[in-house]
This record gives sequence, structure tokens and C-alpha cells, in this order.
Amino acid sequence: MERLDKIVFGDNQFFGINHMSQEKSQELAQKFSDINKIIKIYDLAIKSGIRAIMLNSNDRAAEICDYFRKYSDKYKDISWYPSIPYPHKYANLVAEKGITGSIIEVLVKGNPKSAILGILVKGGTGLISFDAYKMMEILIDAEMKIFKGLNIKVIFLQNVITDLLLGFNLGELFERYCIYIREKYKATPGFITQNMPFLVKSLKEWGIKEVAICTSINKIGYLMFPDIESYIKTCENNNPDEYQIMAMSTLASGAISPKEAYEFLNNINIQSVVFGASSKEHIEETLNLINI
Amino acid sequence: MINQEQKIKIGFVGFGRMGITHYSILNTHPKVEIIAISDTLPLVIKLVEKYLKPKAFISYKEMIDKMMPNAIIISTPPNVHYEIIKYASERNIHIFVEKPFTVDINQAKELRDIYEKIGLVNQVGYVYRFNDIFIKLKEFMHSGVIGKLYDFKFEFMSPTIIRKTNKSSWRANKEIGGGVLYEMASHMIDLINYLIGKPDNITGAIKNKINSIDVDDLLACIFLFNSGITGVLRVNWSDKSYRKPAIFIELFGELGKIIADQYTMKIFLDRPFDKYNLKKGWNVIYITDVFEPVPFYVRGYEFTRQLWHFIQCIENREAKSLCSFSDGYNVHEIIYKITNKFTEL
Repeated sequence: MERLDKIVFGDNQFFGINHMSQEKSQELAQKFSDINKIIKIYDLAIKSGIRAIMLNSNDRAAEICDYFRKYSDKYKDISWYPSIPYPHKYANLVAEKGITGSIIEVLVKGNPKSAILGILVKGGTGLISFDAYKMMEILIDAEMKIFKGLNIKVIFLQNVITDLLLGFNLGELFERYCIYIREKYKATPGFITQNMPFLVKSLKEWGIKEVAICTSINKIGYLMFPDIESYIKTCENNNPDEYQIMAMSTLASGAISPKEAYEFLNNINIQSVVFGASSKEHIEETLNLINI
Repeated sequence: MINQEQKIKIGFVGFGRMGITHYSILNTHPKVEIIAISDTLPLVIKLVEKYLKPKAFISYKEMIDKMMPNAIIISTPPNVHYEIIKYASERNIHIFVEKPFTVDINQAKELRDIYEKIGLVNQVGYVYRFNDIFIKLKEFMHSGVIGKLYDFKFEFMSPTIIRKTNKSSWRANKEIGGGVLYEMASHMIDLINYLIGKPDNITGAIKNKINSIDVDDLLACIFLFNSGITGVLRVNWSDKSYRKPAIFIELFGELGKIIADQYTMKIFLDRPFDKYNLKKGWNVIYITDVFEPVPFYVRGYEFTRQLWHFIQCIENREAKSLCSFSDGYNVHEIIYKITNKFTEL
């Protein structure tokens, strides 16, 4: 299967996402409230040699994509790793409008009238025949719209959705997702998960291969379920031709020092690391430490 | 009776946002077999029939009578919890019900009494009781880390209702049990009951609408305890500055202070507290210092721990529920007092 970039630049730092501290989250959100500050960090990362960017399809991602499209000449060798959807958006939508109201909103919002007709043809059939796979395709297209024109390498399904569906044991839905991503977007299908050993076991049972898996891997076992030992064992036994494993939360939201974190990670059989940083020093320090 | 080899047969009543989360989690439990799902929305029933193994029903009564589950997971709007639990209680069924327990204090009392009498497992979904930081906080309070408590502040802020909202969602509909008091403040009231104890009186209760037409979006009140403790509660679910729900807790005691949220706890002490290796001055405990892994994770480890606890209580009937109907009732007692104390603006 296609190899992932060894190092991918993440986005949590830009959107106030920190899994250890509410206070840090707020500080980050304030620091990066201006898009130009975000672009400045991307430029520093690219200058340091980074060629791959992971970006979640949240409200602010559209601005970032617009910028990179506008200056595409400057950034033509960058690979994009979108992650979809932005789950909080849907959770809040359901709270406001209920389930039926949310479906209507998703189908209609932000689409020009001509596109709505197309969606209704496709989605209408989906809704009337209760075809979950067609509905999934519509949702993927809705989330992927902002990334149009960028060089897409992997499309990751966010862990909230991956893990929810994993618990449901819906092998066919996973398979359909992979097929659709490969055919429509010519990209590698990817899954973000907090249950990596269980996901790998299930994917094998379902006969799904050649996908990217992004998951928390850190020395203290934070956000690694059921436990760190199962993760290490699964990585040891993994064939990178079947699954490309990308580590995230490598510093456990700051609980581990970068040096300690990557000493641990460099000895594990993984193919890629996604990390976020918000200064030149941190970017360069991390790049020097990663040796997978 | 359930013997060791038999799996626990579970039915779901209500299959919305929380129902599907609970399903995903329990479906991975080795001792559980999910046999049926009921929901009043035909779209949901069609999808369940088409893609899932459990049998689907529009009527929960039919589901219970035909499938005879050992336990049910109720994730419907709160106004129907009462009738569902009442029906299930007559058929010897263990219950896990989402919060808030009911929408009426008398109903809550009746259900509590019934389940205490029949001795079946009963649990309410106040999930923050299963958060590792709050578990530690409870331990600290119990051990007298900050000495006698004088004053506290609980805040709960979220971007749940950030646009003008009509009554199309049950969360925005008062009669069905929506609104910030039932949906969000109930969590904080339960945490106050759990961490500090049940307040004796309420004063200065206010509420207001921001985006909703039918329900309130913010509220605040002051709690008074006969022991002399005082505390403030502030809740707002229309605050766009947050990415997701955020809890802020501050506890002021004679020997120190604790500031906590779901991920971090800061402790200021007048003197060292050796039992927990806490030093004089500021101490910080992060979630990464105290977390305990769970077997499977969806949307938060607390949800898994909560349901695993429910199953454990069914398997071992001696085990004490960490959040029983009695705890659910205690929240309603406070909600009732707040509701009667609101000052009109």
C-alpha cells in the first residue's frame, strides 16, 4: 500500500484542543484566533521540511484551505490528510434541531440550489430506501467540500465516528467507506481510533486492508484502550503493507517531555507520526527527535 | 436469575445520540447480549432492522413483553422515563436510565421507593461521577485535604444551543424535559451532592433565555447548608467561546483550596498532606496522572466505566450502585427547590 509521510503536521494546537487541560485549550484558542498566526506556523513547519498536513474539517479549516488554494503554486508539494467530520458540530446540531432536523440541515446547508437537487436525488433515494451507505457518501462529500483542489493523500474518519461504528461491529460500513474514499477521492482511507488493537483485529476479520490507522501512542498509555501492552503487541505484529500506523498524542497532551516521548516511540513499529507545535523551536526539536 | 455462563440480555429504549453511544459500548461487553431496540422514530427503526442484529420495536412495551430482557437502557426524552421504568419494574427488569431521572419529584420518589423495595439494579446516568479527576477530588474531600469546607463555586458552560432555537428538538422543549436546568444543571447538582453533600436551602436563583424560545439557557443560584457551607452554581449552554462542555469547580476550605475541571486539579495547601504526597503551596494533578484505562472507548471513558459498573452490579448483586435512583431523586429534590425559588427578572 502507499506509504504515509513519516512526519505529518497536526492541527490541534490551532483550535484549542488539549486533552489534559481546559486552561491550555483556552490559551491556544486565544493565541490562534487570527488565521495569519496559523499560516505563520505552517510556513515555519514547511520551511523545516514538513510536507504533510493533517486538518480536521472544523469551521476554521475552510479559511486555511482557502489560503493554501490561493497560493497553491507556493505549496504544490504539500500532501493533505483531512480528518472528517468535525463531531461537535453534529452533536450540537442534534441538540438544537433533533435528528430529523439535523439530517435536513446537513443536506441543504451551504449547498447551492443546483447542488441541493443533486443531493436530493442521491440522498432522497438514500432516505427513502434507508440506505445508510448513500447517506454516508453524502456526509463525506459535505465534509470534503472545503478541501477541494488540495492534494489529498489520506482521508481519516474521526475517532468519535470510527469507534462508535466499531462498537456497532458494522464491517460493511467500514468497507463501503474505504471503497468510496478510494474511488471518489483517489485517496487512502484512514481511521482515527482510541481502540487500535480492537480496530485492527476487526478490520482483519472483515478482510479490510491497505488502510491508514491513526491512534494515540505514548509512553504513559494515555488514551490507549484497552492498554499500552496491547498496542505495543499489535504494532509488533503489524505488516505495514496491510496497515500503516500513525501515532498521535505522542506527548500525552504535554505530560511527557518530547525527548522521553520519542525515545519510546522510535522503538515501536510505526510508520508515521502526527504532531502539533506552535513555535519554530518546538517544530525543530520534534523533527530532530523523531527517528522511526 | 442469571447464572455465570448466561449473557445478560439487554434491551434499548430510545436510540438517539445517547442510545447509540451506550449501544456501541455495551455491544463490546463480553457478558452482554443486546437483544432488542425500541424507538418511536420510524427512520431509526428502519435503519436498525436493516443493519443491526437486535429486533426493532416502535413500542417499548411490546419489546419488553416479547423479548423479556434482563435489563434495559433508557435514553429517551426525560418526560417518558417514569412510565417506562414503572412498566419495567412490574416485570423485574434492571434499569439504567439517562439523566435527568424524571421531570417530577414525586415520580422520582415513587420510582426510587419501588426499586429499593424490589431490590433490582437501578442506575441514573450522572456520568461525571465516573471521571477520574472527580473520583480523586471526592477522595481528597473525604480525607480532609483542605480541612473544613466553607465555600464553593460550580460552573458548567457549553456551546450546546448557540443559535436561535425553536421547539423542534426535545432538548429545547420544556414539557419534554429539556432546558438548561434539566440537561446541564442536573449534572452539577449531582456532583455537588456527590462531592459535598445535599444542600439544605437555595437562594438567589435566577434564569434567563438566550437562544431558546421555550426553555432557559442560563441559570444561577446560591446553595446554603445548615453546617455553614455556602456555594454558587452558574450554568450556561449558549456560550460560544467553548468548544465543548467545560466544568469549573472551586472549593475553599480552612486549610486550602481546590480548583478542578474534568482534566486538571490544582490544590493549594497551608501545610503538606503526606498521604497523597501533596506539598505546601500549589500542587497540580493532571488527568494523565490519575487515569485508569477502560476496555473500550467511545466519546469519553466515563461512559464505558458507567455501563461496566451497571453490568457489574447486575452480576454481583451485593455491589452498591455508584449512582442509584436514590441519587437521582436527590437531584430532583434540589431542582424542585430551585424551581420554586426563581426570581422573575
